[in-house]
Amino acid sequence: MSHRLCAVIVSRGLDELLRFCLKNFFESASGLSDQVQVIVADNASARPYTASSFPDSRVRLLRFDTQTGFAAACNRAVQECDAEQLLFLNNDVLLDRSTLVRMMEHCDAPGIGVIGSWLYFPDGRVQHRGVVFGSDDIGPYHLDRGGYLEPRCAFQEFQAVTGACLMVERELFSRIGGFDESYSFGLEDIDFCLRVRQSGRRVICVNAGRPLHFESLTPGRVELDVSSRQLFLQRWRGKYSIDG
Amino acid sequence: MGDGMLQITVIIHTRDSEATLPRLLESVRWAEERIVVDMESRDRTCEIARQSGATVVSTPIAPRVDGIRNNFLELGKHEWVFVLDSDEYLAADAEWVVRDLIEQHGQRFDAFSIPRYNMIAGQIARCRGWYPDQQIRLFRKGCVRWSDTTHKPPVILTSRKRLHVLEPPGCLHIHHENYASVEQFIERQFRYALNDQYPADGFSFERYVAEAFEEFNYRLDEKNDGELSFALATVMAWDRVIRGLIHWERTGRKDSLSRAYSLPVTTLSRYPDCLFPGDVEELRNRVRLLESVPGAKSMARLVKCFRREHRNMKERLKRMRQRFRR
Repeated sequence: MSHRLCAVIVSRGLDELLRFCLKNFFESASGLSDQVQVIVADNASARPYTASSFPDSRVRLLRFDTQTGFAAACNRAVQECDAEQLLFLNNDVLLDRSTLVRMMEHCDAPGIGVIGSWLYFPDGRVQHRGVVFGSDDIGPYHLDRGGYLEPRCAFQEFQAVTGACLMVERELFSRIGGFDESYSFGLEDIDFCLRVRQSGRRVICVNAGRPLHFESLTPGRVELDVSSRQLFLQRWRGKYSIDG
Repeated sequence: MGDGMLQITVIIHTRDSEATLPRLLESVRWAEERIVVDMESRDRTCEIARQSGATVVSTPIAPRVDGIRNNFLELGKHEWVFVLDSDEYLAADAEWVVRDLIEQHGQRFDAFSIPRYNMIAGQIARCRGWYPDQQIRLFRKGCVRWSDTTHKPPVILTSRKRLHVLEPPGCLHIHHENYASVEQFIERQFRYALNDQYPADGFSFERYVAEAFEEFNYRLDEKNDGELSFALATVMAWDRVIRGLIHWERTGRKDSLSRAYSLPVTTLSRYPDCLFPGDVEELRNRVRLLESVPGAKSMARLVKCFRREHRNMKERLKRMRQRFRR
């Protein structure tokens, strides 16, 4: 059976948080008229996830025994699904009831390739509302991160959005070769968005309710990977507009 | 990742495995050669195997699975062999990991010992004995040999030093869905015990009973496995006793079983301060008895006295156990 939307969640440990993440995803998906599925990529959890921990039949588990990069895990997970639209979601993102409906409203609009969403910290500050690029070594960063802001329009165009909650057409994802696995950790999402724009499609960030993003809860996760940043700047410096 | 299929032979042993085989075959589709050794399946096992492009070889049904593994190890055309059972499977990144293992360590080692996750009654068991449950399954052709038994590790024919043991966490694992329920676990354990071979001499029922207690304490791990831990530990302890009885009968019922009751079993406990249900029952009896006698000791003194006696009894049993060990 072909699905309209498939969420790919790469997750390590944090079973209870993941359960909430799935619960919120399915609640949000109940507003859609189409079938959804979820692929949970178990990225070497010390206690592997079992089917009994997530009893929903729409959840499919894909186990990795060794710690696998976000890009490689996502690309592998995408091979397992047959949906038209993909949603890459972090396990610490709790969607709002209206989030998926509002994001999906844009997926058939001509020219749009990637749809991101406003995300908030639990205290109500903005975690993500689009990624902008600074000059020189600054490179990409989250616009207005940590500010108390309210959206003024339904959506806004950016050069990139975060991979914590990123919707893309499956066909486009495969055509441009998925996430680049040379990034060890981080910035593969920004690289992906820039390649989407190179292919002639637009990247937008949607005001989609108030989804939460706790950010970097997984133990052992590094805040910023130096080698990924070097690789990114080496590859993209001078090829993006300075807008931040 | 990687280029082309991995030049390796995967040998899968099956018997009525239509429910689990598709998942396993899917998880090793990257292997260049897949051989299914089928033991007279009565369901669609062979058909599923053929449809997926695996080679099917038939073998008569055998009571012990390990011994027959040896007969098929040479069948494959590749240097490296990965042996799996039909209720096992590998993770999504197994292809990359196996490729890396062989490339990085293939020169120095002939065999790899891989930890295994055992799923029992819907739960991954984490207690001792069930995890990491190292299995020697990936090896160079001709370097490993099993003995004719069930679930015993094979011998490395070259040298023990040529064995590379993968240390969890974060390494390749075999995923094993052993038993769907406790009932199935009991049934299978019973079958293994009946089908196993027992030495013709050296029977000692005391040893089996002592091992049963040891097994219980070894397996019990409530913190990791919760309530299920008690069930599994009990079955494993019970398995030792059953094996003792089978052994006793097969050696002609020569030895006495009653000697096992001289065993100071309670002192083997890792919980010496724990009051066992039998002891509590005895305490209740004494209280009942004393209640009917006027002028009896007060309740507090009675309990105190019982505890003191109890401790002495434990000391005595401990000494007996030491003597028994010597």
